[in-house]
Amino acid sequence: MAKGYSIRARCRNFGWPRDPGTAETGRPAVGASRRLIDRAVSKLLFIAALAAIVAVFFIIAFLLRDGYQIVLETGLLNFLAGMEWNPTGQNPSYGVFPLITGTILVMALAMVIAVPLSIGSAVFIAEIASPRTKSVIKPAIELLAGIPSVVYGFFGLILLTDWIRVAFDQPSGSSWLAGSILLAIMAIPTITSVAEDAISSVPREFKEGSLALGATHWQTIRRVIVPGALSGISAAIILGMGRAIGETMAVLMVTGNAAVIPDPLYDVFSPVRTLTGTLGIEMGEVAFGSTHYHALFGVAVVLLFITLAINSLARFIITRIQRTQGTARPTRSGRVKAAIRRVTPYRAITGAASRITHAASAPFGRLLRPRTSQRCAFLLVSLSVAIVLVILGVILFEIIVNGAGAITWEFLTGSPKDLGRAGGIFPAIVGTFYLVGGALAIALPLGIATAIYLIEYTTATPLTRSIRAAVDLLNGTPSIVFGLFGFAFLVLFLGFGVSLITGQITLGLMILPTIIRTTEEALRSIPGSLREGSYALGATKWQTIWRVVLPPALPGILTGAILSIGRAAGETAPIMFTAAIFSTRFLPSSLTEPVMALPYHLFVLTTTVPGAATQSYGTAFVLLLLVLTIYLAAILVRRRYSQATVI
Amino acid sequence: MNGPTILETTNLNLWYGQKHALIDISLGIPKNKVTALIGPSGCGKSTLLRCFNRMNDLIDSSRINGEILFNGNSIRDSNVDVYTIREKIGMVFQRPNPFPKSIYENVAYGPRIHGVSDKKELDRIAEESLKGAALWDEVKDRLHEPALSLSGGQQQRLCIARSLAVGPEVILMDEPCSALDPIATAKIEDLIIRLTQQYTVVIVTHNMQQAARASDYTGFMYLGKLVEFDKTTKIFEDPGEELTENYITGRFG
Repeated sequence: MAKGYSIRARCRNFGWPRDPGTAETGRPAVGASRRLIDRAVSKLLFIAALAAIVAVFFIIAFLLRDGYQIVLETGLLNFLAGMEWNPTGQNPSYGVFPLITGTILVMALAMVIAVPLSIGSAVFIAEIASPRTKSVIKPAIELLAGIPSVVYGFFGLILLTDWIRVAFDQPSGSSWLAGSILLAIMAIPTITSVAEDAISSVPREFKEGSLALGATHWQTIRRVIVPGALSGISAAIILGMGRAIGETMAVLMVTGNAAVIPDPLYDVFSPVRTLTGTLGIEMGEVAFGSTHYHALFGVAVVLLFITLAINSLARFIITRIQRTQGTARPTRSGRVKAAIRRVTPYRAITGAASRITHAASAPFGRLLRPRTSQRCAFLLVSLSVAIVLVILGVILFEIIVNGAGAITWEFLTGSPKDLGRAGGIFPAIVGTFYLVGGALAIALPLGIATAIYLIEYTTATPLTRSIRAAVDLLNGTPSIVFGLFGFAFLVLFLGFGVSLITGQITLGLMILPTIIRTTEEALRSIPGSLREGSYALGATKWQTIWRVVLPPALPGILTGAILSIGRAAGETAPIMFTAAIFSTRFLPSSLTEPVMALPYHLFVLTTTVPGAATQSYGTAFVLLLLVLTIYLAAILVRRRYSQATVI
Repeated sequence: MNGPTILETTNLNLWYGQKHALIDISLGIPKNKVTALIGPSGCGKSTLLRCFNRMNDLIDSSRINGEILFNGNSIRDSNVDVYTIREKIGMVFQRPNPFPKSIYENVAYGPRIHGVSDKKELDRIAEESLKGAALWDEVKDRLHEPALSLSGGQQQRLCIARSLAVGPEVILMDEPCSALDPIATAKIEDLIIRLTQQYTVVIVTHNMQQAARASDYTGFMYLGKLVEFDKTTKIFEDPGEELTENYITGRFG
């Protein structure tokens, strides 16, 4: 009795409801103040969420408004189905059909190359590799997903186009094929690592059930595991497609950029031009308010619609697959779920995915004994991993070996001289840090607050659903579209000019949807029972969020933030016309001055300055090192987190 | 009914959306006793339990009318602080739900959120709560290890300790043993009986032996109604309603 009483006494009940007279006197004034805090915090979160959501809808509305002008000026049909894109000619014409065709061709061929290799690699890593091999290859491939696209473009321009020109005896290597190969290489790490997550999360019992019936490992993979992971694998492919469609810099550097439809249509050596590439090339020279200007917004809107179509188609396919497979879905990792929510493919491609995996083994299944067929299949799968690793190895080797040699003290700490042919890249390094730091300062608080508000303070209503749809749309929107928005709205309309602050805001808006999404995922993964446990002890909403929900969600939030940093540091397209300047001796002294940035510096050195190969390699090396370090940090955070939560 | 009651409901009705989940419930929970609520799945026993500490507030579609008194004061008055109610009326859930923190931090969480920050004070509360939940001897040397490293039964006792630490008068338990093995269940039942020295316990259970073993009073609920409420011995030996008898003898449910 005494013990129980003392517990109570120690907690200094303020006596409700036994003796209300002593209320709030005997203990720290938490009763009233925490309610006040609770209310204030929810207001604050609401304001932040409102700001972010308004920004998201504003971007979409702004693009649509200016994009609609071109429809008024040329007519919808002339714009979409026009066969000629020539905005600077005597008789300017604004037909985007060749650009749409170019985009789809480049993307489709890239997927034909990337999907089999990626799924083979995913199967290898998830099912065949020994734990030790897996522990090396898996993070290595994830790391490669972080290589900035301008580095790939640099590699493509220096080696790939040359190789195509010589190997296939073509006048020029800048072609559809070069773009597709490059995009495939870029998409492989993304597809592989998400597909691997999906395959690994197929419940063990399925596999054991199949093996217990006497099936070989390969039969089990082919008939149980891969079908079980199909929705996740589709999500991975869609994610890869999204990346391929949204890519600007690498494509712009190797496809030749002639706005023509290949003739014949299968002529992979023909130059092509994509929607994103067009924005990247023409945005900087366009006159504000001209028809050309509106046409570029039209192009951005077309990209927006493609993203929307991909998103909704993906959702459709994935829910269908899940429905036909029943409710007993394997639990997926957050990333796969995020990918599923985010992306979506053309149906034919998902169909093709399963057909490819099945076709790869079908002949063996009928003609050969199970064990022989297993051997052949494993050989093919291992081969695909080998190809992927060799390609990625060659890129890394090329850049590291040539780049490390360019690194000197002067290169890291000096200013560029002679158009970057000599001197160093110090202003570019610092500028990149400024840009990323500013972008984070804008996007991180807004994004996290928005996610907390959406998950913890709202229930599913048509309003929150449309907010999520808008966030998803921007999340999949090509980065060059953010560049266009930043250029048109911030640089021209608001008159910020090409400046550090414009770049920071543009990059911030670009990573905002990613941060909202990853934070939402992290919060969603915290079981409701923990919140209930906290409420049952008399905690307020904010106390529950701050002390119970956020701590275990932090690693997930952090991973999202770090990946966003990596993305912001490596992106060229959004800063190309908003913040970056090619060569300056000075660091920006205020937010309104332009800055140098590593990715843009590399882009200009590679494409317009002859005789700067050493500096290019050096810049690529530094950029690569910077971004890969950031990604490595994310992988380590995730690994620590997954160890810490093993129960 | 003998002795004072601590919780009382009069004509309590509750709806989840269109579903009428509790119909005209009137009962009094005797102070410092164990009261068990039994009945088939979906009869409303957990819902009733969640009314006592207003956890149903968290479910948007729920609507409620009728009176709920705690020590004679309504807990549904708009000027009543819901956080204080939950401080006075603790809850233990069906599945152990320790926070992903250390054992110590789990117990210290409640006092901390209610404004206790003195380290010595927290230490004492933690020790007494863990002793009160019969867990102290098993964990005193590993207070700073993760709570998730404990066994299921230990986790559930930790959750009980956690609710003791804020100094409640009533502890609501929602099928606290349904995820536990028989040995862990026996320990919790012992604990429940000992807790009545200082606390009032209301326990929802599917297990009729458990109700018979561990409770002083039993309420039988069916389809949202309280069919019968009486001393446990009376309910199990000489139930007043045929429905109760049928359920207890296993003829349905």
